[in-house]
Amino acid sequence: MGLIQRAIERVGIATIGISIVRDYSEKVKPPRTVFLRWPFGHPLGEPGNVPQQRAVVLESLRALYQIKVPGTILDLPFRWRRETYADYQSPIEVDLQ
Amino acid sequence: MARLKNRFLARLTTRFPALAQRFIAAYQPQETEGAIPWVQPAVSLRQAKLALVTTSGIHHRNQLPFDMGDVDGDPSYRVLNGEELFYDFQITHDYYDHTDAEKDPNIIFPLDRLRELVSEGVLGRLAQTHYAFMGHIDGRHIATLLDKTAREVAERLKADEVDLVLLTPA
Repeated sequence: MGLIQRAIERVGIATIGISIVRDYSEKVKPPRTVFLRWPFGHPLGEPGNVPQQRAVVLESLRALYQIKVPGTILDLPFRWRRETYADYQSPIEVDLQ
Repeated sequence: MARLKNRFLARLTTRFPALAQRFIAAYQPQETEGAIPWVQPAVSLRQAKLALVTTSGIHHRNQLPFDMGDVDGDPSYRVLNGEELFYDFQITHDYYDHTDAEKDPNIIFPLDRLRELVSEGVLGRLAQTHYAFMGHIDGRHIATLLDKTAREVAERLKADEVDLVLLTPA
């Protein structure tokens, strides 16, 4: 996936990739990555868990704007099945420029 | 037979992540050298047009499935119509257990979550066209991906005036 991401960034489009295998991202070096230590087939979490999926999408978009160093891999703080997302504060309020 | 075995292993590695670690260790992508491609987002999120690109093997039912018979994978891509997904979709990818993704494809392709952000005014708009690959591309197909298909998709996104791309694996 990282190779595709690099190809897209190369034509001038800013990209963010979600990774569930940190090792691969470290080797392929995509421009920007958020990492979750979650099982295969579940990069955005569990089926029907809307707050969880929303949190991952919003954190990914935040990282897309806030990462300034090429190749950065940001470890998201969400632990598999250990978060309720009730207290999750979305970064919507942050004006993403 | 090989496909059944792959699907069985995919179920095991999804249920038992420790096993997955062994598969991860067995497959090592080539280290990429040189400068990392980089551009800053050109517009703010609330003005941006975003497209999804996934390696989860999701596609429309009437499209040719990915070739699961080739051990080096299938470097081709499918053009997805965001307005029709998820009314018709299937997932062709034997290397992960997509039982949960069949129930809710947003866990591999967060289209509904992005639609919500557009309706809330957080995100400018969604592209109508998105792209799917299958992961697990190896051997001779890496060159095809790099020289042809990934480049084609990048050019198509550019032509569609997409500002941002979110990539999801499986």
